[in-house]
Amino acid sequence: MEYDDGVDEHDTPAEVDAAFRTLRRVAITHVVLFLVAVLGVPALSLTLGWWSDGQLAGGMSPGFAMAAFGLYAFFLVIGLAAASLSSAVEARMLGGRHTGEDDGFPADGDRS
Amino acid sequence: MRTGSALLAATICGTWAVVYLVTQVVVSPPLGVGTTVVAGTAASVLLVLGYPSALRGPRAPLALRRRLRGRPAGARPAAREGRGPEEGRGAERSRRRIVAGHRMPLRSGLTADAARRTATRLRPLLGGDAVVITDRELNLAFVGPGSDHHEAGGPVRAAAVRSAIGKGRTVVSRRPSAMGCDVPGCPLRSAVVVPLVVGSRVVGAIGVFRTHDDPAPRDQVEDMASILSLHLELAEADRERKLAADARLDALRAQINPHFLFNILNTIASKSRTDPDEARQLLLRLSDFFRYAVRQEGQLAEFAQEYFFVRTYLSLEQARFGDRLRVRYDVDPQVLTAHVPVLTIQPLVENAVKHGLAAKVEGGTVTLRARVDPLTRTTTIRVTDDGVGVAADVLDGLGGAAPGRAGDGVGLRNISERLTTLFGERFTLDIQSTEGEGTVVEVRVPLR
Amino acid sequence: MTAAGAGTLAVLLALVTLVTLVMRPRGSSTVDFYLAGQRVGVASNALAICGDYFSAASFLGVAAAVYVSGLDGVWYAVGFAAGFVPVLLFVAAPLRRFGEFSIPDFLGRRLASERVRLVAVGVVQIVILSYLIPQAVGSGITWQLLVGRGLPGLSAYATGVVLSTAVVAGLVAFGGMRGTTWTQAIQFLLLLGALVWLALAVAGSGFHYSSAVAELSAEPLANPAQGDDGWYLRPEANQIDPGTPALFGQPGAAYGPLAQFALILTLVLGTAGLPHVMNRYFTSPTGTAARMTTVWVIGLAGLFYALAVMLGTAARQQIAAAVDDHPWLDELTVDGVLRVPEHALPVLGRIYGGDSGLAVVAAGALVAVMSTIAGLLLAAAASWGHDVYERHINPRASESQAVWAGRVSTAFVAVAAGVLAIAMEPRELTPAVPSIVAAMVTWAFAIAGSALTPVFVLAIWWRGTTAAGATAGMAVGGTVSVSMFVLGALPVGPGLGETLMTPTLVAAPLAALVTWLVSRRTAPPDDVERQWLVLHGTAADRHAERLARLTLASLEPTRRRSGRAARRREGRGANG
Repeated sequence: MEYDDGVDEHDTPAEVDAAFRTLRRVAITHVVLFLVAVLGVPALSLTLGWWSDGQLAGGMSPGFAMAAFGLYAFFLVIGLAAASLSSAVEARMLGGRHTGEDDGFPADGDRS
Repeated sequence: MRTGSALLAATICGTWAVVYLVTQVVVSPPLGVGTTVVAGTAASVLLVLGYPSALRGPRAPLALRRRLRGRPAGARPAAREGRGPEEGRGAERSRRRIVAGHRMPLRSGLTADAARRTATRLRPLLGGDAVVITDRELNLAFVGPGSDHHEAGGPVRAAAVRSAIGKGRTVVSRRPSAMGCDVPGCPLRSAVVVPLVVGSRVVGAIGVFRTHDDPAPRDQVEDMASILSLHLELAEADRERKLAADARLDALRAQINPHFLFNILNTIASKSRTDPDEARQLLLRLSDFFRYAVRQEGQLAEFAQEYFFVRTYLSLEQARFGDRLRVRYDVDPQVLTAHVPVLTIQPLVENAVKHGLAAKVEGGTVTLRARVDPLTRTTTIRVTDDGVGVAADVLDGLGGAAPGRAGDGVGLRNISERLTTLFGERFTLDIQSTEGEGTVVEVRVPLR
Repeated sequence: MTAAGAGTLAVLLALVTLVTLVMRPRGSSTVDFYLAGQRVGVASNALAICGDYFSAASFLGVAAAVYVSGLDGVWYAVGFAAGFVPVLLFVAAPLRRFGEFSIPDFLGRRLASERVRLVAVGVVQIVILSYLIPQAVGSGITWQLLVGRGLPGLSAYATGVVLSTAVVAGLVAFGGMRGTTWTQAIQFLLLLGALVWLALAVAGSGFHYSSAVAELSAEPLANPAQGDDGWYLRPEANQIDPGTPALFGQPGAAYGPLAQFALILTLVLGTAGLPHVMNRYFTSPTGTAARMTTVWVIGLAGLFYALAVMLGTAARQQIAAAVDDHPWLDELTVDGVLRVPEHALPVLGRIYGGDSGLAVVAAGALVAVMSTIAGLLLAAAASWGHDVYERHINPRASESQAVWAGRVSTAFVAVAAGVLAIAMEPRELTPAVPSIVAAMVTWAFAIAGSALTPVFVLAIWWRGTTAAGATAGMAVGGTVSVSMFVLGALPVGPGLGETLMTPTLVAAPLAALVTWLVSRRTAPPDDVERQWLVLHGTAADRHAERLARLTLASLEPTRRRSGRAARRREGRGANG
């Protein structure tokens, strides 16, 4: 592989635009979910008495439990979901095969 | 098949269980019933809204996809032996009910294994003590008393069976002598034997034996035999259709437009002087294009792969047309892993470029829109161009079922035929066009 | 502070210095100085970002805020931890792919305007300064508490401020980012270690989290206040439901209904505009790696803040219970409640670990302060040295001149922050706000979230953003947020004041709207499509990954060969 000037990897504007708009949709749906959760917890503590008065095993209220550790787990989950989805979408929508090997079109089976 | 909907239903049930646990069991005092219902409903609504949204989609990196892609390819020969993978499902659906909801093993052809399972299943249904299924020479399966010498895989011993196969019609024998087993001590005494017929060919027989002189009801056995014959016929048709679809795909592969290649090579040749980097990129893309077209195996592929093929093609065309060809993709993340028929989208796009935009001086935009509706289990692919359009009379002349643009080498007809082969009636291929304003082609296929 | 405590502290600080010196970049090119040559692994980069991000506000401030106001203090933890989710969704990967040194650099090149770059430098400097000051204040407070003595001629507080800023400025100037990437990572591990140790000690002593919250919520929340005749416990007024007492486990002890959301949104939006955190993204190898780095950061931040909240709760319960056994607590507490909430973690450390425990927590606090100051100084150096000096003052600067410009600006910003921190020494640490350090940091988040984040996100995701729009947006966001601070400092009535102190709720949408309106009337840069290829395309990433694969493949045989050679040598050694 004597050439490596970065010319081989190349995106066209239309492809990038497509990936961009798909990723934007992914980001917006995730951020909506994120905002629902992160604003929903204080909203519930303002509106629903049970949310801060009820007692989980031991005495913590559901609202406090969410703010003390539930939300952080949720952030990690949503972060992992968004990151893996975005990366997988990018991997499928940009770039492609041409692995560069001079294979003269052998059967694809060995590579799959 | 409907795993997507099952998943949603299971998740909603699980959510309600969690809501119940959290609001009623773990917490004291429990939340009021009304509020709990509101909470559960809100959670369910969020789930249902999120289900078809961009929250779902591929999550595995590409390396995993390669492995997954390899699996169906490896599984395919086995699937051909077993039940035909996708083909003819529409026809099957209407007939499956016949044998009390069971799937009929013989549906995949007359094999020893399928015969054994069929015979086992039919013995109680037909009221016989023993059931035999044979092909023209051998017992494929024998279930019941007497299987010591009427063994599966051995030659057909009963004379009644041989004569039914020979004559091609039902043979009923009420006596051991007429039944014709030459082994002394054979417990079987009476028999009803009906040949299995595909087309006008006798391919085997089904026999029902009893250990007393009163034979099994003839009508019932004949009905069953005709059902089995029908299944065998369908299996045969499946195989033929599969061959035909492969042949059609081969035809499509062979039909890569020589003009296209010629034009692209000219473009590359001229770019090689002005912009060698771009020329090299185009060459790589061209090699990707051909590699995909030639190597793609099977009838279905992940949309992401077809999308790769389409954008490779369009980037080549864009190099040729320059600013005259604008491209817009609108792809849902969920659709990337849906399976679509191979080499289907690119011909649609090629038509849009060749017939819609090439003739238009100022050029135009090709839009590829791909969506998945996981609830109705459909994949929708729409190719739109704002080119010259197709005249109404030409459009009418294309014919509803198999539209194809006039003089079109890689026609819609081929696609339509392959879709019929793959999905029966369960797809739509719509084409709308206004002269001077553009064309919209929309394909809807079941989500896989 | 005893000799053992001082020894622990000294050893830890010496370790950090040693690592910086050992990992010092060999060559001193500008890229190396600022960006560690863009080859920092995902995990170590995530740890370094955490080191930058978890400041005194996180370590002492969050626990203190929970200690003082219960659930309303927990919103700080939620906001700080949530801030990286928008970063992950909107900023991380494109920012890295565009590949510039700093936020001003990014905006300047993206919008092809030097004016935008300079305005962004201005905003970034304001953010950095307003973030630096609470860090310096925090180190002053820590020093005051732990050592209690100053250098000759300086108060204890001023000594803390001067020493921490001076030491860190020196480390940054001569370590560069490579140095600080590793020191940041190690510092964060130290910080996390201190927190985990404290949590284990507390849990081991029979602390039951859930019942502690119930127990603390059983009676009204009251905090020390200084009256005419000395300290007394004053019940907190309930901001949401006046007339009823404020409880630990319920909202209302510190913030009114609107202010709760305002605070969370301020912290959530602010993170994406923090220059020292964003600069770290440029050191990731690829955009995808930047994204995975953020996931790590979110996980680590969640762990960190969950522990901090738990320790704040534990402190409230355990310190009150320990007053009888520990006479030294008398002068720090009023009826079992600490006068200065920031003391919560150090006091817990001393209760469970004696003087060494106190030293560990103190080291954690100082390290938190120092690592954040280091990140901030480096960001300041990058924007002065790179964006202003190299581009506008001396465009033909040599590499070494540029590096020196960075060092000089580091020193300059450090001095400015130190002087301001000494000038703003909080004479009375009244619990008017849950925690003075956490509250001051919130101002930096508010300015960043109002002025930088909206423009930043629009520039990444909207082609139509123009230089004029961005300039107007940053100006409006900055002006509105600062004037709301000023308004909030005036007595405007209960509830409203806190809302004004967290102005992002108003300022950020306004900044976005202005950016959009002005951008609509002006023309975006011509090469926006080409920029889009870099910003959202993965060609460079794929190329980098392929190069990495090739490098690995070419290393493989070499390694095998050298392994064989080594074995041969060994064999010869055995024979001979």
